[in-house]
Amino acid sequence: MSGPCLIVPLDGSLHAAAALPIAQEMARLYGGTLAVIHASEPALPAAAAAAATGLAAARFAGVVVEGVAGSPAQAIVRSAGEHAAALIVMCPHTTVVPPDRRIGRTAAEVLRRAPCPVLLVKPLRPPAPWTPRTILVPLDGTPASAAAIHPASEIAARAGAGLLVLHVTGARRDRPGEPGTLGAPRYTDQPQHEWTAWAAEFRERACQLCEVAAGVSVRLFLAAGDPGGEIVQFALAHQVDLIALAWRGTLEDVRAATVKTVVREAPCPVLLVRF
Amino acid sequence: MEVELGGSYRVDRLVAVDATEEAARARLRDRTPDAVIAAHVEAWRRRWSLAAIEVVGDEAAERALRFAAYHLVSAANPDDDGRASVGARALTGPAYRGHVFWDTDVFMLPFFIYTHPPSARALLGYRYRTLPAARERARGLGLRGALYPWESADRGDDVTPPAAVSASGEVLPVYSGLEEHHISADVAYAAWHYFEATGDDDFLVEEGAEMLVETARFWVSRGRIEADGRFHLRGVMGPDEYHPGVDDNAYTNGMARWNLERAAAAVRLLDERRPERRRALAARIGLGEGEPAEWLRAAAAMKLEADPATRLIEQFAGYFAREEIDLALLEPRTVAVDALIGLDRLARSQVLKQADVVMLLHLLWERFPVEVSAANFRYYEPRTAHGSSLSPGIHAATAARLGDLATARRYFRQTAEIDLADNMGNAAGGVHAGALGSLWQAAILGFAGMSLRDDGLAFTPHLPAEWRALGFAVCWRGRVLRVTLDGEATELALEGEAPMVVAVAGAAPVEIAPGGRVVVRR
Repeated sequence: MSGPCLIVPLDGSLHAAAALPIAQEMARLYGGTLAVIHASEPALPAAAAAAATGLAAARFAGVVVEGVAGSPAQAIVRSAGEHAAALIVMCPHTTVVPPDRRIGRTAAEVLRRAPCPVLLVKPLRPPAPWTPRTILVPLDGTPASAAAIHPASEIAARAGAGLLVLHVTGARRDRPGEPGTLGAPRYTDQPQHEWTAWAAEFRERACQLCEVAAGVSVRLFLAAGDPGGEIVQFALAHQVDLIALAWRGTLEDVRAATVKTVVREAPCPVLLVRF
Repeated sequence: MEVELGGSYRVDRLVAVDATEEAARARLRDRTPDAVIAAHVEAWRRRWSLAAIEVVGDEAAERALRFAAYHLVSAANPDDDGRASVGARALTGPAYRGHVFWDTDVFMLPFFIYTHPPSARALLGYRYRTLPAARERARGLGLRGALYPWESADRGDDVTPPAAVSASGEVLPVYSGLEEHHISADVAYAAWHYFEATGDDDFLVEEGAEMLVETARFWVSRGRIEADGRFHLRGVMGPDEYHPGVDDNAYTNGMARWNLERAAAAVRLLDERRPERRRALAARIGLGEGEPAEWLRAAAAMKLEADPATRLIEQFAGYFAREEIDLALLEPRTVAVDALIGLDRLARSQVLKQADVVMLLHLLWERFPVEVSAANFRYYEPRTAHGSSLSPGIHAATAARLGDLATARRYFRQTAEIDLADNMGNAAGGVHAGALGSLWQAAILGFAGMSLRDDGLAFTPHLPAEWRALGFAVCWRGRVLRVTLDGEATELALEGEAPMVVAVAGAAPVEIAPGGRVVVRR
């Protein structure tokens, strides 16, 4: 293999296959190798694994296909570790699930345990060409949430994309307790000066928290309301091609409400970076 | 320079900044680093002996007040010749481009008037030097007198940007530069306040009266007595910038009325004390004999009154009919309300960026019965979103004067946090110098309850329970009065050449001799 390794798991369903063109474009951008893995017990030889994905052989040009043993989630995580994968590209579910539960069990376990960022692609996405031209990084103002900026900016640099940073504020909400958190201003004495100054400081502070790839332009936006809903609306309005979100890695119960909403409703792939 | 491992070295470098290299070098001639440092320390010792505030029992409050005093002392140059003032962020950051707002005249200036009058004088010198530009601005609008710019820079021209780009990318028109005409009355207020507190006749004669006259002339040309017999000012915006284009804004009308009355008083004073200067001024600016009477007629007819039943002053014509929005439903809130609700809906609502009526009561406290102040504070306080950093400090001062100490403490703490908490998203832009001035006012005019008398000063203290004592100094007409307040007594020590009278609430006024010390028990 040359360059970084990207993994795309395919279970033979039409749903899962939607991830392949996105994964191939990401591998091209990274200059890396794409490994298609198919999990079964026992593991299938490569040719049989390729056949089991249900896709024509022509779809696998320049791709490594592996059959791996074990449950799908275990196999994906283990393969990512063995290949020191830079990215796992997969669908959040590959069977029909209730509308309120759009992250299936396999994807949920991979998200919890993956040693690298995970790019979730909407199942049944048409196999249209995809290139990230506009990338959105939502920030809640905590230093932790800025973890998504670096990987997003690397993709932006490689794709020649612009980076949009969105801070969503709202009522009935306390400021996050994490030290160094920066929110929207409590006072806008003179909007003609205040927003310019705030935007410059917010952008500067966020970019200081992580390395922004050279040559990437960063624009800041503010929205008010429910974070998940606002992120989705913004992505639709600005024709965003990729959303990069930092998250804590916990999906249980009421946790990660924003991540769940964005994954469920976003019009584009969602890159989840755990901090 | 060769250095040795483990050695300790000191490197001094003297830097001077001036308009030319020659002038800069002249500043450094015959000066040594040690002498410069010693002079610096001595200058700070002198200023700090007047500016420092002691709050026994509340270390955080004391730290916040000293933080405010430190930045304010650093901001103004008493030796300035009127070419510079203090910008909204002083020199601590690039935000607001160094532009000068009413923040300086109304929020910062009292600190300088009472702790270092020469600094206050220099700041007023800037407004006098830019008076020609203010005249030109009024003339450009087809009006008389002087209209100071909402944002002022080196020459005093209006440098307010015409539009703002909001954080959501919207281009918003900026009405403040077009409609916040109260700035002219604010400058006049500053001039008179300085004159009253310092007794600086020369200032009134040489600069102050002219500023008062020209701003009064502006008001009589800006509004008119209409068919109802009342003087109306239409199409203005008060300090509450959520409501542009309103008629009879209470703050604007109230301050304009005060401006008109004080201009007439200034001319009368000149007549009495320096008639030759009055004649010279009249000749220079074409002041007609009948003008003061015209100002007083406009003032007497000014549309501004409290409802006799509710005691409420309507913030502007039609305000009471606007949509009510319960701000408590938005709490907890860490962002300005305009980012949540939007300026269009705010303009149709009763939600205030800062309460113009409360601001008016604060500046002209003695003019309104305390029942009117209390009723209006109770009405407007829950409708005020404090979208301006200038707002909570004034609410702290007003609540303290009304004896509502829990509310006063809450707003005092909110004001103190503006620059000290670093969670506002704008620390890099510099300190909020106006808010720092309002914190000083909350402590001295609010909790200590200081006000001017013709023959001295008065104090009506309302100290928070945890403030076991409050100590500070104030300058009054060439004297320095050192004040220590606690729950039971007020200790007063006078420095200077002449006696003064001090009245402490609940006790008979006392005359204090130079060098004297008096304890007034309550």
